[in-house]
Amino acid sequence: MRRYLFKRLVQIVVTLYLYLTLVFFILQAMPGDYSQIYIDNPQLTREAREQLIRDLGLDKPIEEQYFTYLRNFVIGQWGMSFAHGRPVWDIIVERFPRTALLFITATLIAFYLGFLLGKLIAWRRGRMIEYTSTVVGITFYTAFTPMLALLLVWIFAIQLTDWTGLKLFPIANFLDMDKWQLVNLGPHGSNVIFGYMLATLGALAAFIFAYWWLCHRFIHRPGVRFGALLGGYAAVFLLAGYLWVAVEPLAQCWPAFQKYGGRICNWQLAVDILHHMILPVTVVTLISFGGTMLLMRNSMLETIREDYIMAAKAKGLSEKTVRDDHAARNALLPVVTSFVLSLALAIDGGIITETLFSWPGMGLTLLNSVQEQDFPLAIAALVFTGVFALIAHLVADILYAYLDPRIRYE
Amino acid sequence: MATATTAPQRQFDPIWRVRARLLRRGALESWAMFRESKIGLTGLAVIAIFFVAGFVIHPVLWGGPTLPEWFPIAGGQKLWAPLWDGKIYDPILGRPLVWSEEHETYIFTDFPAPPSLRHWLGTDPYGRDILSQILHGIQAAFVLGIFAALITVFIGTTIGAIAAYYGGFVDTFFMRLADIILLFPLIAFLIVLSGLMQMDFWSLAIVLGIYGGFGSITIVLKSQALAIKVKPYIEAARVAGGGHGHIIFRHIIPNILPLSFLYMMFTVTSAIFSEAVLSFFGLVDIKMSWGLMINITRDAGYLGATNMMQFWWLWMPAGLCITFLCAAFYLVGRGLDEIVNPRLRAR
Amino acid sequence: MTIATAAHKAPMLEVQDLTMHYFTRKGEVKAVDDVTFTLYKGEALGLVGESGCGKTSIAITLLRLLPENALFKKGHVFFYRPYDPQKAQRYIGFPVKIVQNGNEAYTGRLREVRSDAQLLLQARTNGRFQEIPVQVDPKAHFGVDLIALDEPRLQEIRWKGISMIFQAAMNALNPVYKVGDQIAEAINTHTPGQPPDQVREKIAQLFQLVGIDPAMIDRYPHEYSGGMKQRAIIAMALSCDPDLIIADEPTTALDVIVQDKILREMRVIQKKLNMSMIYISHDIAVIAEVSDKIGVMYAGKMVEVARCETIFQRPVHPYTKALMSAFPSIKGERRKLESMPGEPPDLIKPPLGCRFHPRCPYATEQCAKEDPAFKPQHEEHFAACWHPLS
Ligand SMILES: Nc1ncnc2c1ncn2[C@@H]1O[C@H](COP(=O)(O)OP(=O)(O)O)[C@@H](O)[C@H]1O
Ligand code: SF4
Ligand SMILES: [Mg+2]
Repeated sequence: MRRYLFKRLVQIVVTLYLYLTLVFFILQAMPGDYSQIYIDNPQLTREAREQLIRDLGLDKPIEEQYFTYLRNFVIGQWGMSFAHGRPVWDIIVERFPRTALLFITATLIAFYLGFLLGKLIAWRRGRMIEYTSTVVGITFYTAFTPMLALLLVWIFAIQLTDWTGLKLFPIANFLDMDKWQLVNLGPHGSNVIFGYMLATLGALAAFIFAYWWLCHRFIHRPGVRFGALLGGYAAVFLLAGYLWVAVEPLAQCWPAFQKYGGRICNWQLAVDILHHMILPVTVVTLISFGGTMLLMRNSMLETIREDYIMAAKAKGLSEKTVRDDHAARNALLPVVTSFVLSLALAIDGGIITETLFSWPGMGLTLLNSVQEQDFPLAIAALVFTGVFALIAHLVADILYAYLDPRIRYE
Repeated sequence: MATATTAPQRQFDPIWRVRARLLRRGALESWAMFRESKIGLTGLAVIAIFFVAGFVIHPVLWGGPTLPEWFPIAGGQKLWAPLWDGKIYDPILGRPLVWSEEHETYIFTDFPAPPSLRHWLGTDPYGRDILSQILHGIQAAFVLGIFAALITVFIGTTIGAIAAYYGGFVDTFFMRLADIILLFPLIAFLIVLSGLMQMDFWSLAIVLGIYGGFGSITIVLKSQALAIKVKPYIEAARVAGGGHGHIIFRHIIPNILPLSFLYMMFTVTSAIFSEAVLSFFGLVDIKMSWGLMINITRDAGYLGATNMMQFWWLWMPAGLCITFLCAAFYLVGRGLDEIVNPRLRAR
Repeated sequence: MTIATAAHKAPMLEVQDLTMHYFTRKGEVKAVDDVTFTLYKGEALGLVGESGCGKTSIAITLLRLLPENALFKKGHVFFYRPYDPQKAQRYIGFPVKIVQNGNEAYTGRLREVRSDAQLLLQARTNGRFQEIPVQVDPKAHFGVDLIALDEPRLQEIRWKGISMIFQAAMNALNPVYKVGDQIAEAINTHTPGQPPDQVREKIAQLFQLVGIDPAMIDRYPHEYSGGMKQRAIIAMALSCDPDLIIADEPTTALDVIVQDKILREMRVIQKKLNMSMIYISHDIAVIAEVSDKIGVMYAGKMVEVARCETIFQRPVHPYTKALMSAFPSIKGERRKLESMPGEPPDLIKPPLGCRFHPRCPYATEQCAKEDPAFKPQHEEHFAACWHPLS
């Protein structure tokens, strides 16, 4: 296991290096050098222009530029945004949590949905449910994302409002300006809340996983185990809710909170973000569950031909046990990889969704920066997307190794 | 040997004829299997419909026969004039502007117009017929998709064969490259690229083709090529003095070509989709495509959540066409997959 | 087939007219056709035949582990256990067969368990369904038709009643679970509520019995060697103390010495626990030693069933005789089965009449036209041939 992980780590580092190099040379090979656009700005004085050339290292030979580029990447000097006048890194740090929260939630739900449906339709092969879900899955999988997203927005936001007479879901933006203005958390204000939310999510996930493992390890009576699990989960969710509501004073130590004196609590802000998330999450979920479902179906179809499935049936296990504990457990392996990778490419796919929902995450940032010819930001966003994907790849490898004892005990 | 002595004067077919016969038999067998895949056939049918509409119906109607002078109704006019007159309803140039006395300027009147007998799918904000745009878009989608896919197949098979044949560093290098490509944020990359250079139709197709060619296709084809590399006839060819190039191009590549066609289908899907997304953001310099139609709609403000359904004809046909054509190629790919990948076969 | 001929023995499994085909693109594969045999308690039956003749298909049909393209055609599989009124309750509404006092047999759908000694069966007599009360002897054998059972009841019988050692034993272990856990799963399913320590103890004993180090309990299948996997599978098959074990080519993947050893050990265990056994092999030499009775299959048909010695000394069917000639003689040299002309038939279009006739040296015109019935030739000796050899 350790050797395997080490090997993968080295591989990832090599891949990362290759990726950076590839991006650098593609940029160099571009007909119009992007820095030229900036330097040719007629408003610049001669000195300023020379200063800029020196800053960007354009007077140096190409190999030196390449090493500067690599060094700058490592030390986090990703340049200044033309359009924002701020370090690119700051902007990414500000925008990334928004994308992460939205897409981690949506991908998790989509994955689970796809997993369940894929499992069921493979098991019920040849029945109506298989054809229906395959058609639905392929439709969602191949549908032109902007159109599908717009249609879903229309159904959920406009039609639902018409039928119910209530304004259920906000269509655009990730928070309600009116509420947040009162808070005046400063330029990065929403990020505090985003950070808390992500931390809560992470802590919950970690707890659920660890607790599940402990219960399965130490409690052997199924009934008792189920009770313990249920109780533990309920307790931790209550605790999380309580912390969000009660630890207000802690949050108010943050200078910004003191200004407005706690009229709006941070859980209300979190709820506001969540409220804005519902529609995008629904749309992203619907758009992306089809792929997982089809993959799970194929993987499951291959698995149920295996001899150990017949052996499991022969053992007299119930159909549900055979399906869930034996077939689905093995069929899950390739799907997990694709799940993490799809999470990795969330920023990529997020460009469309974020644009349509004006959700100011990484995708929208990337698109806007290209449209504003803000190349340092655009390239940094591209590089970051790739790095994030690579890290996700590593996570996928670890997860895979955990799930597959053949690798774990190599 | 016995047959050689008993029938010495027997004529042997030239090698190309033997090859053609083998190819034909292989193709027939594959077709017989493909025919069983319902989804594959559905996809093929949809592709055929699109193809006929874009490459047969459209050009014919575009040129359009003119009715003879003596014809009682509309004699001397073009048969399809209302709908198809290329001069007036050119999908790219649109209808000429009309001088308006009232506004003292050239204006477009009443556009976008809803579907009518004249315009079966209505007109766009510039007064151009949507149906002709759709049909025109078919050509763009097919040419782009197939061109990109051909590049992909060319690169993918060559690299797959070379990596399998030489192994070692060459293999490692291309496999790592494929890893990167798998994780490469394609849309993000294309968007950045379109900001750096003028991205037109052909360069987009080439970029997409190259991207596909270095990606997962090489991994799959390499493993296939590895299985072929150890076959006895490869050894025989080597013993017979065949050079590296001869073995790769004559023996390995023809054997992995069928599998690469499967991946070609998926490349077509991804190429059409990517073009549509980029055009949707208005980042490609292209005359007309389905993505661009939606972009125009969006830029003209007809794609708001509140009014999009009112102006459905502006974006829905284009969106559905992208969806259907992508789905069709994807389905054909799935159908082929059931041939190539016996584990998915329904037995 | 009645079981009256062996009145003194307790029946275990009675297979009647079992027919199962596979649906394929090219046509129906007639893998199991009209197979009939009876197995008694404590007896070991060896099923022999060329590979592809349908041996595995019979095994999976018995337990109803059919793949999705299988077409079950007809037949009954009665699985017998000592009569117990409490347990009989559970099969109300299902076809059962009661065998008692040597040759008395009643078949019908179980309607009611009236008292400990009386059952109500619904049976078809003279074309009409009638309810017939049956007086049951306390020592009667109560058979349930596995083919007609529903899933939950069948699941109870799988592994507890009949367990199986799979042909592809290497792949019969789920790679993601520890071997011990996979065995424990079977035990916990059939005898729930046992404390984990006790289950573990039992698995350790089983491991010792089949000759694996009990320390391997907590290892994953990929850490086992081929022979160990095979033994683990045998331990798993024994784990619920089944009445019958079907061993499908249990040792084919192993080398000859290990093969022999494992088979002998299995024979000892079988005798000790008084289990019934069905050994399946393409090689009669492998199982001749461990079986009491041998069934010879040819092209989806059972062609001859008899006691082991009888099969060797007085084979009735020409195919059996041909098989025998392939059996190593005392000198140890092995003559080839290929001395028999022709190929094993295509099961999609098997030859009309006797399926063996294209290869049979005794074939007559009748053989090519009519299918010989599978009928008793001597005591405990059945065969399907128009021109029996003895
Ligand atoms: N799932 C299946 N689908 C179609 N044909 C099958 C299937 N399984 C087995 N067969 C065919 O049925 C015949 C009997 O197979 P099998 O019972 O495995 O034979 P044996 O165990 O005697 O070697 C063979 O001809 C085999 O090709
Ligand atoms: S029935 Fe005829 S063909 Fe068949 S085995 Fe007997 S003698 Fe041979
Ligand atoms: Mg077999």
